[in-house]
Amino acid sequence: MNEQAPKMSVILISPELEKLHAGSLVASVAAAAGMTVSVFITMGALKGFRKDNVASKSFEYAEIGQALIDKKLPLFNDLLQDGKEVGDLQVYACALAMDVMDWKRVDMLDIIDDVIGITAFLNMSQGSQVIVM
Amino acid sequence: MAVQADKMVDARGSFCPGPLMELIKTVKTAPVGSVIEVLSNDQGSAKDIPQWVNKVGHELVYSEDMGDHWKIAVRKVK
Repeated sequence: MNEQAPKMSVILISPELEKLHAGSLVASVAAAAGMTVSVFITMGALKGFRKDNVASKSFEYAEIGQALIDKKLPLFNDLLQDGKEVGDLQVYACALAMDVMDWKRVDMLDIIDDVIGITAFLNMSQGSQVIVM
Repeated sequence: MAVQADKMVDARGSFCPGPLMELIKTVKTAPVGSVIEVLSNDQGSAKDIPQWVNKVGHELVYSEDMGDHWKIAVRKVK
C-alpha cells in the first residue's frame, strides 16, 4: 500500500447532512488509520454542530440524509466522536462564523475542541491532505 | 480453521464504517497477540477491514464469506 500523508484536514462548509456525514466519515476513518486529523467547521456547516439542532435533528437533507435519519445511523457527530476515541482527531469551529452568528461554545457540541481563526488552522493543516465538503 | 478467536464483535446490522470502528475499539483494549473476530454484513467491511489491518500493521488471520455475513479475524501485533 502506498504511503499516505500522515496528516489530513477536513473542511466542512455545507449545512447538508449528507456532506457533514461524508466529511466526518473520511475524518474518522483517517484517524482510525493513524493519521492526525483536523476538522474545521465553518459557515453553514457550523449550525449542524449546535446542540439544539442535533437534539431535534434539524438538518438540511435530501433522500440519503432522510434514510440516514430514518434508519437511525450514527450521525456525523457520532462518527467524529468515534474518530476521537480511536485516533488523533481534533474538531475546530470557525471563529468568524461563531462571532457573526453570536453563538457561544456552550451552544455547540462538546466534540468541538476549540474555536480558532483561519491562521491557526492554516498552521495546523500545513502539509496535510485537504478535503473540502 | 485452527485459530481460536479470543474476542468476538458481532457488528451485523451496522452500516459502514461501524464494524471497523467497533473492531478498532476492541483491538485497542485487547492484549498484544490476541485474536479478535468481527462479524459484519454491510457492503464495505469485507474490503475495508483487511485494508485497515494492512495499514496499521496488524495481521489478518482469516476472512470468510459466510453467505449472509462475513467473518473476519485480526491478530493484534503491537
